[in-house]
Amino acid sequence: MHLGHLRLRDFRNFRRLDADFGPGFHVLLGRNAQGKTNLLEAVHLLATLRSFRGVGSAAMVRHGQPGWFVGGRVVATASHAIKLYWSKNERRLTLDDQPIRKLTDYLGTLRTVAFCTEDLQLIKGAGRGRRRFLDFLLTQTLPTYLPLLQNYTRAVRSRNALLKKRPIDEATLESFTHEMVKLGNEIMTRRRTLLPELGPRITAAHARIAPDGEELSVEYQPRVKEDFAAELHRMRDRERALGSTLLGPHRDELSLQLNHKPAADFASEGQKRTLAISLKLAQAEHLAATHGAPPILLIDDVMGELDAPRRQAFLPLLNQCTQGRGQVFMTCTEQNWPEELGEELQKWEVTDGELKR
Amino acid sequence: MPMMNSLPEPVAALVGALGQLPGIGPRSAERLALHLVQSESGQVQQLADALLTARDRIQLCETCGALTEHQPCAFCTDDRRDAATVCVVETAVDVINVEKSGAFKGRYHVLGGKISPLNGVDPEDLRIAELEGRLTGFNEIILALGTDVEGDATSNYLAQRLGKQGVTVTRLAHGLPAGSGLEYADDLTLSRALEGRRELQ
Repeated sequence: MHLGHLRLRDFRNFRRLDADFGPGFHVLLGRNAQGKTNLLEAVHLLATLRSFRGVGSAAMVRHGQPGWFVGGRVVATASHAIKLYWSKNERRLTLDDQPIRKLTDYLGTLRTVAFCTEDLQLIKGAGRGRRRFLDFLLTQTLPTYLPLLQNYTRAVRSRNALLKKRPIDEATLESFTHEMVKLGNEIMTRRRTLLPELGPRITAAHARIAPDGEELSVEYQPRVKEDFAAELHRMRDRERALGSTLLGPHRDELSLQLNHKPAADFASEGQKRTLAISLKLAQAEHLAATHGAPPILLIDDVMGELDAPRRQAFLPLLNQCTQGRGQVFMTCTEQNWPEELGEELQKWEVTDGELKR
Repeated sequence: MPMMNSLPEPVAALVGALGQLPGIGPRSAERLALHLVQSESGQVQQLADALLTARDRIQLCETCGALTEHQPCAFCTDDRRDAATVCVVETAVDVINVEKSGAFKGRYHVLGGKISPLNGVDPEDLRIAELEGRLTGFNEIILALGTDVEGDATSNYLAQRLGKQGVTVTRLAHGLPAGSGLEYADDLTLSRALEGRRELQ
């Protein structure tokens, strides 16, 4: 799978861009603040409909303009045209000029994995980020997962609304609890079956890039121990006092322990960075294994943060992704240019919102 | 909308009114309005009369909630229909859909929605008490509600509340669309159909 064409209009600092890309390894060179990361953000946006910077759509409009457009042509077994437009009053997403009604019909058209500085939050930040990491993988590999997650979230929110009302309508609460438990159990089953595949990929990736003697353990920790309904019932009084749902997969954790201590609290900055990259490497490898074709890799300046031996660990994945019909986009400044990268690079110069070969 | 500025005021008002209708966007509304104001006035009179007459004569059946001209409606009074089975649906339009299938020949009951805490719809806002008032005489209640979270929760709620009164409560099966190959079914439908599989006799 590769992105054959990218078209931007008023996206970030790009007024207009039309660029053709072949499969292979593309390096985006340029000084800071020229728009290199914006290009990666646009490609990631086409794949996931979200910014990897964690910002909303309004933040991506070029200064003073009403809206942005990001379009692309994805070449896989067939070729598909994606068009994404956003303005304050209008949002449009089409695939081959057909409007998309259900997200499940769209997701998977383009698959990307981004490596960026924000990944550090996966380790440092709250459990929400790590749940999102799991959910992203499940959404990209199981078509039924996204509607399941959306329905579960709706059931939790409905239940929270019922818990806040006085007097509590017991029969209605019971009906929504029943739905929430059913959907929640399905989510936990999916997450539980993902881990035996994903966990070893994370530890293996970590073993390749971390110095010897660092031992990583990855564990899925559902908040529900055995019986969701029964454990929820035991929280009855506290739930009513607080007016919200206190148990369920929306509170699960993906625990990361380095040398038997929680990484968020005890790892150094360097160790955290290595861990974050390991998670992303595992994500890319998992998608490649599940779909039989690697995702498009978007690497934002991460290589510059790694020393030469750690960069070596990246190479097998880079090779896998650039062989055949795969594709990699990587941003670099001249100073942190990784010399060991092969000869077959396609170099692009990014200067003030323009892209040149 | 800037394009309305060029329209005479009464036409703009008509565009506005038509635009309120379901499935009519600003462009269609404008096309319809411009067509109407250029039509023969007798024709437009006929349309206006048809609209008013239909609205005047159609009401909701006081017993079941279906659309009807007479009280109670034909579904509630027709002796050829099975008076021991009732099909519970969300809206009056659902009655028409089930009826089109031709597979059901019993009574109906329209709830008027589904329980939705996020939209402030409580059980008291639905026609559940009216359904309980009709229970004697029914020996099966078929729940034909939507299969989203709220539809399913409403089904759970009704099964609990009505089950206590000694009547059989059933719900529609989730399954494959009839007459099509598996390749046309989405994954969720397919997995639900697998869960609800049946032994062949």
